[in-house]
Amino acid sequence: MSSRTSSPDFPPLYAERPEWSDVVPIPQNDEDANPIAPIFYTPEYKDATDYFRGIVKTGEKSKRVLELTESIIRLNPAHYSAWQYRYQTLLSTSSSLSDELTLMDTYATEFLKTYQVWHHRRLLLTLLHQPPSSPSPSSPTPTTTTSPTHTPTTTPPLPLQAELTFITSALRTDAKNYHTWAYRQWVLSHFSRPELWSGEISFVESMLDEDVRNNSAWHHRFFVVFASGVREGDEDREEVRRRELAYTKEKIALAPNNGSAWNYLRGILTHTHTPFATQADFVLPYTLPYPSPSQTEPLDKDVDVKMTDEDKDTDKDEKNSSPENTVVDLENPRPEAGADLPSPLAIEFMADIYEERGGKEDVLSAVELWKSLRDEHDTIRKNYWEFRINDALHPSR
Amino acid sequence: MTCRTDSFPTATSKEQARVEEILLQHRPPNDQPKPHLQRPEHLNYLLRNLRQGFPERFISQDCSQTWLVYWTLHSFSLLGVALDPETKQRAIDTIMACQHPDGGFGGGPGQAPHVLPTYAAISALASVGRAGPGGGWDQIDRLKLYKFFLSLKQRDGSFLVAHHSEVDVRGTYCLLCVAALLNLITPELIKGTAEFIASLQTYEGGFASASQPYFSPDGSGEEEEEVLLKEPRPALGEAHGGYTFCALASWVMLHPLLPLLSSSGTSSEQQPTINTRNLVRWLVQMQGSEAELGGFRGRTNKLVDACYSWWVGGAFNLLRPLGVGTRSATSVPTTSPPTTTPPKGEGKEEEDAWTDDDESLFNRAGLQEYILYAAQHKAGGLRDKPPKIADSYHTLYSLAGLASAQHNVFQVDETKEKLRAAWKPKEGDDPALDEFHKTVFAEARAWTEEVGGSNYVNGKVDRVNATHPIFNLTITHVRLIMNHFYAQE
Repeated sequence: MSSRTSSPDFPPLYAERPEWSDVVPIPQNDEDANPIAPIFYTPEYKDATDYFRGIVKTGEKSKRVLELTESIIRLNPAHYSAWQYRYQTLLSTSSSLSDELTLMDTYATEFLKTYQVWHHRRLLLTLLHQPPSSPSPSSPTPTTTTSPTHTPTTTPPLPLQAELTFITSALRTDAKNYHTWAYRQWVLSHFSRPELWSGEISFVESMLDEDVRNNSAWHHRFFVVFASGVREGDEDREEVRRRELAYTKEKIALAPNNGSAWNYLRGILTHTHTPFATQADFVLPYTLPYPSPSQTEPLDKDVDVKMTDEDKDTDKDEKNSSPENTVVDLENPRPEAGADLPSPLAIEFMADIYEERGGKEDVLSAVELWKSLRDEHDTIRKNYWEFRINDALHPSR
Repeated sequence: MTCRTDSFPTATSKEQARVEEILLQHRPPNDQPKPHLQRPEHLNYLLRNLRQGFPERFISQDCSQTWLVYWTLHSFSLLGVALDPETKQRAIDTIMACQHPDGGFGGGPGQAPHVLPTYAAISALASVGRAGPGGGWDQIDRLKLYKFFLSLKQRDGSFLVAHHSEVDVRGTYCLLCVAALLNLITPELIKGTAEFIASLQTYEGGFASASQPYFSPDGSGEEEEEVLLKEPRPALGEAHGGYTFCALASWVMLHPLLPLLSSSGTSSEQQPTINTRNLVRWLVQMQGSEAELGGFRGRTNKLVDACYSWWVGGAFNLLRPLGVGTRSATSVPTTSPPTTTPPKGEGKEEEDAWTDDDESLFNRAGLQEYILYAAQHKAGGLRDKPPKIADSYHTLYSLAGLASAQHNVFQVDETKEKLRAAWKPKEGDDPALDEFHKTVFAEARAWTEEVGGSNYVNGKVDRVNATHPIFNLTITHVRLIMNHFYAQE
């Protein structure tokens, strides 16, 4: 790269171009400077940034500045000053923001991991879809999102749908890219249009079908279902809770050592104020050394899982519907054959159930489970399990 | 325990299995000597970067020049090496060339001011700068810096990292560190910021980079004023080690100030809270298994990476101010001498053997093993994981992680009281504001390395210096720069 000559790949240096001869390039350092930890720049990077410093000094914002900043960004997409100046120049020159967005499509896939690429898109989208009056989104409660005044008539819905499609394709290249996911969540919550939200559950399911361990996708599911408010069609929160529990448990059955799914299960229960103990029947088989054949009793006789009355109430449907029938229990899918059991995450969950109940014997049962994690199943976290034991036995500490 | 794929392989588990296989090759067999910290190689690596600089592929770091300097200088400090006055002066001049005429520092000379390189610049100046002409400290334009910070403040209590740039909790952390070190924290600056931090905690327990605020028009009448809604305020992005560190360190800085904010009438709202229990669970779950040599990952189901030795491993020291951790901070410790003593310093009587009373929440031996066995590059410098090459970023955050796995550093109540008692108010300062500054000062300065609380998995020869759990500077450097800017001692 350093031994550049004129070639189709490299346009001439700005210093060699007559149309730039009016600009005084400014070198990064004073002549007598002796900086430590210097970077050795390529001639084209030094050239472009020298001219950029010259432009910033005069404050020029013109079409040619767009070319200059693009040159710098192509050489170093993390050059935030060039991005910042480019944005200001786009506004001053009334340039087409749609054209800029199209240019960004190629940048995003090329420079997937830089903050600036995604933030620049966000600035563009904000301006392109700014509603004439209100600069900020209002609360996405059912009343506002379904209210006719909220239906966008001034801006066409299509480009925003296209934005989600674009993000989906970017995620195909890098399924866990933090910026890409955060950007998708911003598009959804900032514009908060019903037609944008409507496809998200099936989108996230396709991502989880691809890789059930993709934690970014699980987080996105939580964002859509629970964290970002209640939208039309999802007002029956009890139904939503049931749906999410069923979905998550099915995914845990596929891969019982998947921390993402267990965390999501915890998330549902905490968010909906559902006691962990409601899941005791589900969790138990995952705490045992190998999957028990599905025809046998679901509860190991040695492990005494007592349901409180309150829990029984919550679980009435699933338990009373078929008291003897243990073969098909859709509410409590069992671990798939080939699972690595017991799952430390299940043991931890079961211990939390016992601790939540809080009786003296419950706490001792929890302690036994934590000891098994400490000594056998999750030894790297032995100090933490020891801490949990002490904390439960001496809560005053 | 090796990768538990449940006979259901996906992209994540395949990557995981591949990395575990590589890492296991780096675990030394029981009958072989254990690798130690390769001090000479790392020092050579750092010196080379400082003196010779970086090859052209580091153009990608052109906007992180103050970071390259900070990572290198603080790595030297952790390794117990002080630089000669001439190199220090060159470092000061290199950093000061990045100060922007409008306030704040850019990533390099002539670059726009940005909060992240500003943090790196001030941290570097804390390491090598001094008071007086040419020393850097008194050439920082604090007034313009404060105005720059205020200009980045958003309605939801968050901050942009630079004009026209993103909101990101790294920016909040960097801004609060700089403001705390330089005595710039005011109620106006931090109003609503703790609420923003709290909104970043996800259902997993860790924190995300940002959150989406919603506003509704105030129902009270003529005023067009919009009101920030408590809910929904969803986190954008999943729980992440780097953001969690920044959020937690910010929280620990802000938390003692909240009572002062409400009594001064700036905030009548109920105080924000975070779920400490979920946070602790998430932090410990980030530690990899024995098959991953006990290194830390940054997100659920992602790969271990040595930089999380600091971002996650270093976060454990920050839990004690939240009341987590069994070691009592009220007892009088044998306070340590200044920590920039060379590692071979003889004054301490710590045993080489691993002590049994290790009450940390994470596996400190495991983390040290990951750093010593997998993160060190033979040619010097430290890295994400084998077979990658070393870089300045991973070198510092591995060493800082090693420091936090070796030493207990905590706030000593008695020190805090002493600092408060010895406080000299600034003349003409409003008493409420004075109380505010005194609290920032005493809280930051009370962090102390516990002597006798250090553990070395392969012996004391691997000792690195302790680092301040909030600023990631040596405790001595924090003391000197804060004493200067708060005009204390």
